Amino acid sequence: MTRTEHVALKGTREGLVLYLDPQADFTVLIDELQRLLKDSAQFLKGAAVRCFGGEREYTDLEKQDLADTLKNHDLEFVGWLRAEDVYVPGKSSSNPVREQGVQRALDEGMTEGNCLFIEKTLRSGKSIQFDGHVVIIGDVNPGAEVIASGNIVVLGAIRGVAHAGATGDRNAIVYSFFLAPTQLRIADLVTRAPEDGGESRGPEIAKIKDNQLVVEGLSINGVKKLLY
Amino acid sequence: MGEVIVVTSGKGGVGKTTTSANIGTGLASSGHKVVLVDTDIGLRNLDVVMGLENRIVYDIVDVTSGNCRLKQALIKDKRFENLYLLPAAQTKDKTAVSPDQMKTLSAELKKEFDYAIIDCPAGIEQGFRNAIAGADRAVVVTTPEVSAVRDADRIIGLLEAAELHSPKLIINRIRPQMVKRGDMMDISDILDILAIDLLGVVPEDESIVVSTNRGEPAVMDHSSRAGEAYRRITRRIRGEEVPLMNLDVPDGLMDRLKKLIGMR
Repeated sequence: MTRTEHVALKGTREGLVLYLDPQADFTVLIDELQRLLKDSAQFLKGAAVRCFGGEREYTDLEKQDLADTLKNHDLEFVGWLRAEDVYVPGKSSSNPVREQGVQRALDEGMTEGNCLFIEKTLRSGKSIQFDGHVVIIGDVNPGAEVIASGNIVVLGAIRGVAHAGATGDRNAIVYSFFLAPTQLRIADLVTRAPEDGGESRGPEIAKIKDNQLVVEGLSINGVKKLLY
Repeated sequence: MGEVIVVTSGKGGVGKTTTSANIGTGLASSGHKVVLVDTDIGLRNLDVVMGLENRIVYDIVDVTSGNCRLKQALIKDKRFENLYLLPAAQTKDKTAVSPDQMKTLSAELKKEFDYAIIDCPAGIEQGFRNAIAGADRAVVVTTPEVSAVRDADRIIGLLEAAELHSPKLIINRIRPQMVKRGDMMDISDILDILAIDLLGVVPEDESIVVSTNRGEPAVMDHSSRAGEAYRRITRRIRGEEVPLMNLDVPDGLMDRLKKLIGMR
């Protein structure tokens, strides 16, 4: 996976969208785009791409340059997006999951990105570090740690250390069927599980609310029903 | 073709050596040909626990480095014809043996014996890697303490990484009275975290101290409760299904008196 700072390519239901950092220098953008496309050319071949550059207006020359770069990698440039077309998390019109009565776990949070699946229990001494979200099907035992730049979801118990949004993203969440971590960190905030670790509280979600790390019981319709 | 079973724990002092001695003696008493291997080079103990210290001439390092033949280093037990000990060296350290040498040794022992019980040193360094190198099965010993369980968890992870799958658990030195009062982790607390099969539970028993000092494994002492637990563990290793021992200790005279006058 190529790391790029100023360009990002995301898939939506309407096709690929290329996000360009409005603050960045145009040559930097093109340079990063070249690298990004070089690594994933095979995968993206033939796709139609729309671009979004925020408020910034690009010159015709720059626009042409961009279209050429895309074309060189067998991608088709189909147009520019305006701010109101772009998906904003939490904006109901572009979010079909968010129907009335259904509480969303990821409200305002991170909703897409790389994801690592781990299908075993992490035992003491094991450390997982990943740039993206981490899903663990198993437990995180005391002495083990999970550090992710995105969300952490554990289909089991967290008794070790979990650090979501490790690169500083305060929108990250930690979700677990049994949340009793040695230490829980989201972005720059740290907390511990309460001393009286009562069993069977059910699934919980930890997130940052008003500058504080809070843990809430989770009542997504269906999830509770499945568990009890 | 025999089986090589490593007894390990991570943490020291939880009873690896005592467990090795008792399992080995128990298996030998039911007629199997057994060898006990002490891999705790530099801190050997198994010979003392077995009461065979004064018979050591050659040790495991002599065997792996080719100073002597395997047969020469094996010490026959006092009680059982079919029980042998391969002692550790005391004057060397863990690096005197390599995992590859242990694999070769284990393969050789398997030809000769029904069971080879390997007593692993504490820690996760070379001594541990040596001990598990040639093993077919692993037994993890822990006590009902958070620190011991934590180390056992780590060890299970390392065993799995070394392709030694589904290790079995022995919970040693449990004190039923303390568990009942809620002052000690109980079996289900431990199994919750470690999530492996339970091979047995051994209650705390003063007779272990006595038998260890005397060099006579408790498994042969029919009045010892820990001995009873080890007899059951031995039968489970042989593949029998045996229920867990009833851990409730009958009330002593004082307890019954106190109950009578309503103090408890």
